[in-house]
Amino acid sequence: MIEEGAGQVDGTIRAVLRDVLGLTQDRVNAFDESTPLFGLLPELDSMAVAGVLTELEDRLGITIEDDEVDGEMLETFGKLAHFLRKKALL
Amino acid sequence: MLRFGPQDGPVVIAAPALFEEANRTRAFLVRILRLLGVHGIAGALPDLPGQGESLLPTHQATLAGWRDAFATAARHVSAVATVSIRGGALVDGPAPVSALWRLSPITGAEQVKELWRIRQAAHDRPKLRYDPARFIAELDVEVAGNRLAPGLLAAMNIAEPSSDAPVRTVRLDTNPRPADLKLPGRPLWRASEPDVDEPLAQALADDIAAWVHACVA
Repeated sequence: MIEEGAGQVDGTIRAVLRDVLGLTQDRVNAFDESTPLFGLLPELDSMAVAGVLTELEDRLGITIEDDEVDGEMLETFGKLAHFLRKKALL
Repeated sequence: MLRFGPQDGPVVIAAPALFEEANRTRAFLVRILRLLGVHGIAGALPDLPGQGESLLPTHQATLAGWRDAFATAARHVSAVATVSIRGGALVDGPAPVSALWRLSPITGAEQVKELWRIRQAAHDRPKLRYDPARFIAELDVEVAGNRLAPGLLAAMNIAEPSSDAPVRTVRLDTNPRPADLKLPGRPLWRASEPDVDEPLAQALADDIAAWVHACVA
């Protein structure tokens, strides 16, 4: 069940990055745990981060406290997914 | 105020999304209003005071002023229904219409939190936990280059979409909240670049047309 839930969270993150940042489905499908995000994905500037976080809250039904958000949590797709899986699946 | 569609036939008036989201969704909203013309429905798109092409300075705009101006515009064009996107649902209420149609409406508190996040991001401020009481008490708030009137955030923070006329709520199918209709599509109000989702615009125009025709029948 946890694995199935984790897959759903990952799929939601890919869809949010696609929709908010205007990336193609192929591009977000190619993201793996080590894909760098904040700082290296040019579409993800600090303004876009605000939209990504709020959209993730809406779709996953969670609340992300802003003091939990830092460069490390957004460093790679894997780190973002890890943070959100803990939030959404507990 | 922009006008669309036939000279006769029922008129809907659109309440755009607020602040930055208005820019991101303007082309999309215009597309929906043009498509309504195909259904024999006329559209009106006013600029709220202090937004869009309005001459009022942004920092003089108030929530009550938006509601009054919108109701006046609705009366002026004899609108039978409103079409709002997101925070537009906070200003459509007092309009003298028979139906309120809304795409992804949000509460005032949600709108204020969005503004806070944008402000924090733009100024690269230290990461603070969101405290609405503290934010709405700030006297000189600037969000993405626009100063806000003192009191706007406090009024907005307690505002809710009204239900003075029959309401139809439409959301994207990725949003788990309740709605009368859910459709696939992109949340364009969050997109970094303004865009139009044509299949979504078509589906929304079809739904608005059916709802308006049912409400005025």
